[in-house]
Amino acid sequence: MSRLLKIEFKKILTYKVFWILVGLYFVFLSSGILMAEFVINSMVDDMNTHLPIPLPHVTLYFFPWIWQNITFFATIRYVLIFPAIVIIILITNEFTFKTIRQNVINGMSKAEFLASKLLLIVLISLVMTILLTFGAFIIGISNTSGLTPAVIAEKSIFILGFFIAILTFQVFALFFGFLLRNTGLAIALFTLYVFIVEPIVYYFLKSPIVFKNTIYTYLPVNSVLRVSEYPAIPVLKKVMGLNLQDSISLTSCCIPLGYAVIMIVIVYWALVKKDL
Amino acid sequence: MENILTISNISKRYGKIHAVSDLSLEVKRGQVFGILGPNGSGKTTTLSVILELIRANSGSFQWFGQTPDKESRKRIGSVIESPNFFPYLTPVINLKIVADIKNIGYDDIERVLNLTGLFDRRNSRFKTFSFGMKQRLAVASALLGNPEVLILDEPTNGLDPQGIAYIRELILLIASQGITIIIASHLLDEVQKICSHVAVLSSGKKLFDGQVREVLAISDSFDLAATNIELLVNTVKFHPSFRSVITNAEKIQVFFKDHVSPEELNRFFIHHDVILTHLSERKRSLEQHFLELLNNNK
Repeated sequence: MSRLLKIEFKKILTYKVFWILVGLYFVFLSSGILMAEFVINSMVDDMNTHLPIPLPHVTLYFFPWIWQNITFFATIRYVLIFPAIVIIILITNEFTFKTIRQNVINGMSKAEFLASKLLLIVLISLVMTILLTFGAFIIGISNTSGLTPAVIAEKSIFILGFFIAILTFQVFALFFGFLLRNTGLAIALFTLYVFIVEPIVYYFLKSPIVFKNTIYTYLPVNSVLRVSEYPAIPVLKKVMGLNLQDSISLTSCCIPLGYAVIMIVIVYWALVKKDL
Repeated sequence: MENILTISNISKRYGKIHAVSDLSLEVKRGQVFGILGPNGSGKTTTLSVILELIRANSGSFQWFGQTPDKESRKRIGSVIESPNFFPYLTPVINLKIVADIKNIGYDDIERVLNLTGLFDRRNSRFKTFSFGMKQRLAVASALLGNPEVLILDEPTNGLDPQGIAYIRELILLIASQGITIIIASHLLDEVQKICSHVAVLSSGKKLFDGQVREVLAISDSFDLAATNIELLVNTVKFHPSFRSVITNAEKIQVFFKDHVSPEELNRFFIHHDVILTHLSERKRSLEQHFLELLNNNK
């Protein structure tokens, strides 16, 4: 296992494109998280000009709600797309440069090759989860008064939701990369699917006139986004009586994980079956 | 001698096209084995099958007398088609990846870079290399960890004359160290110069295999000259094995039906009072043999 990771590190350590995309990811992720409060409050201000009773300003990043909110804003598709594109590039590069052929010739099995990419995905997800936990902790501490360990820990389960979301979303990207093998095609079809195809299907299935069930919650990308479905805005909760998501559910985690397992099996099967 | 590679009745189809049909081969330890054939004759397909890049429709093969797996591939160094490396990585990092895959240390990297004359460029990115250097790095990578077998697919393809000479010398050097080498080539001259054994492929079928020396030993014509060319031509027609003659101003080329030794021929002319000023035996080249084989098979 460490041998496979050692190989993966060598492949990315001096690869400029990788680090540029990682940098962009950090810019988008942190600005998304930090801007969210400001954007929501300016929307509140906008609405207040039409409302008889003005809505209060929201604060998102204090314990324990920060776990849920930071997870929500870190798992919107505009942010998740970055690690996914990184994975697509790293996988399709191997086909473009024919290095997958060379790896197999040199004595790597196809299963090992797939395993090395999956290990990289797990590692990226772990690193990002640790960084996000650390970031949430810093922001949370500076925004919350009267801290107790119990308050800090209360909603921290949402961080697990972030790990599952970023992990499974990258596995979806791996699926596109391995099956299409071409960088441009894989990125184009993946982003088309994530931003256009699935949302259209989603709203079609959600329409209560057509279907009277919740089948729309089982769409792959949507199932990832559903792990942390809504931000928690306690003030609005109180004012409007909204009772949205409170914790992450086992089912909402199992659906994207199930998709990931199915996709890995298909990728493995196709890899063994198809010539390189 | 020990069989390094045994191919038994391998066939590979792409739709209706038979890239390789019912191919069987044996490569023994220490041989420099040439797989010779025109473009599209199934050479690369054959090599891709034995390196498990593609799956044959039928047939089987064995490396080192065993069913092949990833461990047997670690004992083989290969260059297939083009040099495949990460363009944005230096040769040292590219070779470290190869070493990691083969589960060997990095100590050998310096040796193979020196051997292929790339040590000075060890820290330049692969994409800055000329084609010749890329090809040399591919050979360096194949030599990493002293493999028992070296597989080279068109190793001199696209190289300039200097590059070709360099690679060929390198191959001969490696062969002299007792490493078994399998070379696919469409260049007859290359196989003739490098290989000890050869298999000729055409349209995916094996037409012929054997020692290169045996193929070359077949003589079928002589260049002759004498002061009186006319007399020479008239006399040679009386030779019992005479088949045909091509007459030039200063020399004639004579073809015989059976094997005739130079000594016997010389004696024949002396007997007929013709003194030769030139006698040379023309060995049939692999190229002629190859073209004949291809033609006979049509």
